[in-house]
Order: sequence, then structure tokens, then C-alpha cells
Amino acid sequence: MRRALLPLLLLAGCSKGAETDLQYISQARSLGFEWAMVNQLAAQGKLTAAYVQTMRESLKEQLGTTASALTQPQSEYGNEIRALIAEPANAPAAELRTHAGKLKQIEDRLESD
Amino acid sequence: MNPIELTLGIMTAVGGFVDISQVVFAALAGSVFGYSLIWVFALSTVGIIVYGEMSGRVAAVAKQPVFNLIRHRLGLKLGFITLAASVLSTLITCAAEIGGLGLLLRYLTGAPYLLMATISAAALMGCIWVLPFKWIERIFGLLGLLMLVFVFALTAIDPPWEKIAAGFLPQIPPGLSSKELLNFSYFAVAIFSAVMFPYETYFYSSGGIEEEWGPKDLPTNRITAIVGMALGSLLSIAMLASAAQLFGPAGIGPQIPGTVALQTAIPFGPIGLVLALLGILFAVAGAAIETCMANAYSIAQFFGWIWGRHKKPWEAPRFTIAWVVLLLLSLAIVLTGVDPMSLVQYAIVFSILVLPLTYLPLMLLADDRKYMGKYVNGRLAKVLGWLFFVLIVLMALAALPLFLITSGGQG
Repeated sequence: MRRALLPLLLLAGCSKGAETDLQYISQARSLGFEWAMVNQLAAQGKLTAAYVQTMRESLKEQLGTTASALTQPQSEYGNEIRALIAEPANAPAAELRTHAGKLKQIEDRLESD
Repeated sequence: MNPIELTLGIMTAVGGFVDISQVVFAALAGSVFGYSLIWVFALSTVGIIVYGEMSGRVAAVAKQPVFNLIRHRLGLKLGFITLAASVLSTLITCAAEIGGLGLLLRYLTGAPYLLMATISAAALMGCIWVLPFKWIERIFGLLGLLMLVFVFALTAIDPPWEKIAAGFLPQIPPGLSSKELLNFSYFAVAIFSAVMFPYETYFYSSGGIEEEWGPKDLPTNRITAIVGMALGSLLSIAMLASAAQLFGPAGIGPQIPGTVALQTAIPFGPIGLVLALLGILFAVAGAAIETCMANAYSIAQFFGWIWGRHKKPWEAPRFTIAWVVLLLLSLAIVLTGVDPMSLVQYAIVFSILVLPLTYLPLMLLADDRKYMGKYVNGRLAKVLGWLFFVLIVLMALAALPLFLITSGGQG
């Protein structure tokens, strides 16, 4: 009986953790899209150099803080956030949107559970 | 009336509405809930116009600033509790503004944040020390108007005007889950609180006394309160509507003030960006001065010290020491490395708890014919004043539970 309950308890624990992490997933998704918008507008020459540099630093810093707050860093979303942070500062907007989009899918899935 | 006389109202409103909290909050509200929170801005704007006008009228007729009234009407004990809570919430707000200035200067120059925050605090101290009150109003009130670039940016992106107009009608978006409904309620309460920050009336009424208002200035007071506050509201609504159009569909819930400035870069490029950052910078600097002075006014008025920027600093020594110490304390909070955006959340919740105790004595005195004579509250001011008081009490009761349940609108 105890053995049968274990996977259920683990699953419940995981789901609770993911639920707790939902706000961080949502923050990371937003930060990813913000970063993409900054890089897109920078490529179009619509921003100043000081602003672009500062925004990229701030956004990466905040992503780092968000990643460190996760209760389940070794999860699908934890990996995705780390992949986002690993992108170079001037990564193409499309690439950043792909990571942020994946986070959005995870967020939607967790919200509908 | 000389239009330049409106600067007290403009500085009060721009500094009150468009402080660092409101910049991020208005944009976040728009990106998460579209246009459906516009009515909360509109409603609370009417509230702050009502109380702003009342505080100016009381200052002009009874020569009583708000904290004098609080002490006399609430008694020493309750008055002191109000003073302590108000000083704490306004101090946190002032720290958030100084942190915000550090961030904004970093966006403009790329220099380190804490260095920029320290330079900002030093510059503010110099301004308050050197400049006469009128010049402080004029410089920060008028340069804060650079924020009008947000209104032009909204027009340039051709938003759905019919949806913006519909946003002025009280509403709750259909189909929200219970969690989203709680978040929506938290946003509504927080916007209401941030628009009606009590420091605005402390500063505005003390400013009226600094400028030696009398009954002949009452028409100026009324126009200043209406035009100034409506302008502040317009700027906030423009930021909310642009965010609903540009950020929400792009999956962005702005977390930092730098993101909000993208609203103007999209249509106008680097010039729009720099104007937006400068506009926010001057508005936030105005808010930092406003919060610092409002706190010093409150303390001095409560304890019956000589106060006022119309006096030389050494003619009102305890008042001078108070604002200098408060500014340094705010800087010290920033230098601990705390995130200014999280400071803002606490300031908003603390403020709404103080609101009923701030506005009740004001309304009682404005209703008192013995003090106000023929300038006592008219029927409209009386009805609106009590209506908003009931709303404020309800919001104050709901604020803390909503803050805890939604983790400050995050959950």
C-alpha cells in the first residue's frame, strides 16, 4: 500500500512545486519576451546604446534571480530558463521568443491542470 | 489666472500619479488586463481631485495644513499612530523614487545604479536647499510634462479608441478564473491607493500655505486640482493603453521601468525613448521631493515646529534637519541593495491603511462652518467626499488580505 502511494505522493509534491513555480515561470516568460523586444528594436536602430546595454544586463540579472527562486530547478521549465539565460546578450529576437514561447506553453499547461 | 500658477498642481499630480510605482503598475495593469482597469484610474482621479481641492481650500481659508487637522481631530494618540504609519509608507515611497532615479539615470548613461542613486539624492538635496519653493514646482512640474510623449506615442500607434472609451465604464472582465479575479481586485485596490497616496494632499496643502494662499486663490486651487490631477491621470491611462496594445499581445508584463519606455521608442525611435526616460526622470524626481517634503511637513506640523521652504533653512532648523535626515534615510534604504520595485508594493499597501485616517479629519474640518465660514463644503463636495471615504475604508479593509493572497499581484 505504502509502495503504491509513493508515486502518487511524489507526483503531488511535484505538482505542488510546479504550482509554486508558476509565478516564476510567468516572470521568466515575460522577461524573455522583453529581451526579444529590446533586441528587435535595437536591431532597427530605435534605441540608444546605453539603454540597450543596461536593459540586457537588468533582464539577465532578473532572469538569474527568477531561476534561483525555483523550487524545482531540474524541471522542463528550469532547463528552459537556463537555456534563455545562456543566450548571448545580442541574441536574435526570434531565438529569444522561441524560449519565451516554450515557457508560455508550460505556463498555460500548468494553469489548465 | 496665470497658467504658470498651475505648476503646484502639475507637480503634485505628475509626482503623485507618475511616480516610479505607477509607471510600472499602469503598464503591468494594461498588459495583463487590457483596458478594463481604466475606470479605476478615472474613479480614483475624481477622488483625489475632491480631496486635493478640499485640502487646498482648508489651507487657504483656515490656514490649516492636513497634519495639524489630524492631530486636533484625532487626538494625540491616534494622530501619532497616523503620523508613524504615514511617515513609514512615505519614507518607503521616497526610497523607491530614489532607487527609480538611479535606474533611470543608468538607462540614460549606462553608469552604475547605486552611484546614480547617490548622485540623484545629492542633486535633490541641493535643489531643495537652494531653490525657492516656486522654482521647485516649476522645474519639476514643467519638465515632468515631457511625459506627454506617452500620450503622443499612444496616438501614433492608432489604438482601438472604442475599447479605450469602453474602459472608462466600471467593469470586471468576463471569464476570469477565481485566481485572476483576485489579481484583478488587487490591481484595482493598488491603483486606487497609488492614485490617492496621502502624501499628495500633505504636499499640496502645505504648498498652498507656503504660497500664502487666501480665499481669493480658491478659483486657482479648484482649477489647479482639477487640471493637475486630470493631467496625471491622462499620462497613466496613456501608459496603460499603450501597454494593452503593445505589451499584452507580445507576452510582456513589464517588471522594470525601462521596459515602459519602449512604448515611445516603437513609434518615435531613440528620440522618443530619451524623451520618455527624461520625462519619467523629472516626474520621479518631483515625486522624490514631494515625498521627502511631505514627510518633513507632516512631522513639523504634528509637533508644532516652525516649518516651510519659504523660510531660510536655519530659520526652521528642526524642519530642515527633518527633510535632510529623511532624504538620507531613503538613500540608505536604497544602498542596502533592496529592489525599488518591491519597495513600491509595500508602500502602496501601507498607504491605503493610512488613507481613512488622513481624509476623515480633512473632511470634518471642510464641513465645519465655524472654521470655513461661507467656504464650507458644498453639496457636491460633501456627497463625493463621503462616497469616496466609504470606498477608501472598503479598500483599506481589502488591501492587506489581497496583497497576501495574490503575493502582490504575482500569484
